[in-house]
Amino acid sequence: MVMKVISADHAVAHGARLARVEVVPAFPITPQTLIVELIAEFINDGELDADFLPVESEHSAMSAAIGACAGGARAFTATSSQGLALMHEMLYAAPQNRLPVVMVNVNRSLGAASGIWVEYNDSMPERESGWLQVYIEDNQEALDMVIQAYRIAEDRGVMLPMMVCLDGFVLSHTVERVDFPDQQLVDSFLPKFKPLYVLDPDEPVTMNPITPPEYAMEMRYQLHQAVDESKLVIEKVDREYGALTGRAYGGLIDTYQMEDAEIALIALGTVTSTARVVVDHLRSKGKKVGLVKLRFLRPFPSDELRSIAKNLKALGVFDRSVSFNGFGPVFTETRNALYHLGIPLTNHVAGIGGRDVTFEEVREMFSVIEENAKGHRVKECHWHGLRGGS
Amino acid sequence: MYEIRFHGRGGQGAVMAAQALAEAAVLEGYYAQAFPYFGAERRGAPVRAFARIDESKISIKSQVYEPDALVILDESILEIDPISEGLKPDGKAIINTVKKPEEVDLGIEVECGTVDATTIALETIKAPIVNTSILGAFARVVDIVPLESILNAIMNRFGEKLGHQSGVMNAEAARIAYHNTVVGRCKGTRTIVRKKVWLPAWDEIPIGNTLSAREIDGIAVGPGSMAQNLTGTWRTQTPRYSKEKCIRCLRCWFSCPEGCIERQEDDYERWDYRYCKGCGICAEVCPADAIEMVRGVYEW
Repeated sequence: MVMKVISADHAVAHGARLARVEVVPAFPITPQTLIVELIAEFINDGELDADFLPVESEHSAMSAAIGACAGGARAFTATSSQGLALMHEMLYAAPQNRLPVVMVNVNRSLGAASGIWVEYNDSMPERESGWLQVYIEDNQEALDMVIQAYRIAEDRGVMLPMMVCLDGFVLSHTVERVDFPDQQLVDSFLPKFKPLYVLDPDEPVTMNPITPPEYAMEMRYQLHQAVDESKLVIEKVDREYGALTGRAYGGLIDTYQMEDAEIALIALGTVTSTARVVVDHLRSKGKKVGLVKLRFLRPFPSDELRSIAKNLKALGVFDRSVSFNGFGPVFTETRNALYHLGIPLTNHVAGIGGRDVTFEEVREMFSVIEENAKGHRVKECHWHGLRGGS
Repeated sequence: MYEIRFHGRGGQGAVMAAQALAEAAVLEGYYAQAFPYFGAERRGAPVRAFARIDESKISIKSQVYEPDALVILDESILEIDPISEGLKPDGKAIINTVKKPEEVDLGIEVECGTVDATTIALETIKAPIVNTSILGAFARVVDIVPLESILNAIMNRFGEKLGHQSGVMNAEAARIAYHNTVVGRCKGTRTIVRKKVWLPAWDEIPIGNTLSAREIDGIAVGPGSMAQNLTGTWRTQTPRYSKEKCIRCLRCWFSCPEGCIERQEDDYERWDYRYCKGCGICAEVCPADAIEMVRGVYEW
């Protein structure tokens, strides 16, 4: 096994190389750039047998990825923020046509107010597109999940595109130790892509024809079912990958110190890491706290969350984006899932626009949850690190 | 956990230094992470980078606010950034300077290693990129990662990116710096400068996302307003203007990329040194040699 000290962006590029992607249409955008630069290098140096298409916009990047996938190739692309927004129209073509493109979105806030730093308001709106979405915690997971993503996306029970989301700069440009699985091992885990249908001039088919009301509703329901059923595949693939490499991530959801926890926080992305340290600290003070790492937003692990949370006295939900006049999207999803359980819930908005989320801020989240568990009146939605009263 | 904060200027390789240090720590069997702080950097602008080293997996992902060690790649930043803010009382500092430790005033008295990394870099790698030299000094002052591992990490990083010879030269710079580092204690008499940053509450920020044309409003209005980012401290060279030689052709005025040359009513010029980054374009385009670039930060 090879080990390197690399950034999450580079880990992703190595993941794509090990997955033997065949077509990479891409447009560089901060903080995704390191990914496409390294993939271009791999292709140039003959380390990856793929076509690199330097397109003129993200709309074209997604169009080309969809086209390549429809042609039977394993397609990869990566983007961020404004780039993802520009793809929005094309994103919808992949799921209904059951084209398992894998894309890495390096999360970055969507202007205005323009910034290059992490916020989830770029990927959260794409929950409704039919793409599966996983959120990454560290560089090793970034590499492993690109490989897992193809296995999940290309599974005959799924056949859906998948978005691997990772925190801009906090992960994308941070170097950590990353272990590489052997190519042979990846090959055995990830067989060659077998598409449902292929665009082939010798055997012509029409893909993506206009769909009248007589069919569209049933097809949407099919898609709805497929996203739901992807849960089993995600769990299965993670277990299998764990057996091969020794690294499993818990599938849809991971927990930390939840066995006897009375209160807990749901977090996703890198804040999960900082929250682990806070949980350790609070545990050392005798407090029964736990952490739920939400890995997938689509499919959303409603049942899994219910069984984990059912005995809690209070639960908090961290959000790195806002639904204006509403709550954070993760909170809304969680409340939907837990509605009948009647567990007191609070929403914790932090890290907006790339604001550093500190140990202290996460500890503050836990104290609000604790107050809530005691039955004290607390606000339903807290903004942590905000200057001025909220 | 051992936490390190790097301060340098864009182009000196602070980010690469943090990364190479993390790699050296991993080679030693530690867990490590390294990351930059991304602001509005350009060449010459003050930059920060961070590294953490620990015996178990590092979970914390926020920035470093109370470092165990400071690595200062450019001592002039002491005048413009609160560099030593948060440095632990038993922390250590590694500074690129020609001064001896006791001649440097960090605002906190700590164990300190000084080295003239700029000269070493200029002689060894033929460029004022001091990241590898300063890592040699780091190994001398902080005994967490031995020099051998730092040299290996430098060979890996630079060798892979820029070729074997580059790795060898950079490792050599680190080795020389290791031996030339003077270890002592710095002074702690100056007050740590704090930047005057406008940090309003949400209800104090004017509605919208617009900067006013008037500079005075630029101070009060909006995120990242120009008045907070006096880029004049970035420069290493300052243009000196000679009114006597000036032929009033205005080439410098329309060539200045920062718009900091002001055209007077009589077509003679005036420089706004608060924003001049010392790029030297004005001196380059002047047909009358009326502008001379002089090393250092001056206001004539």
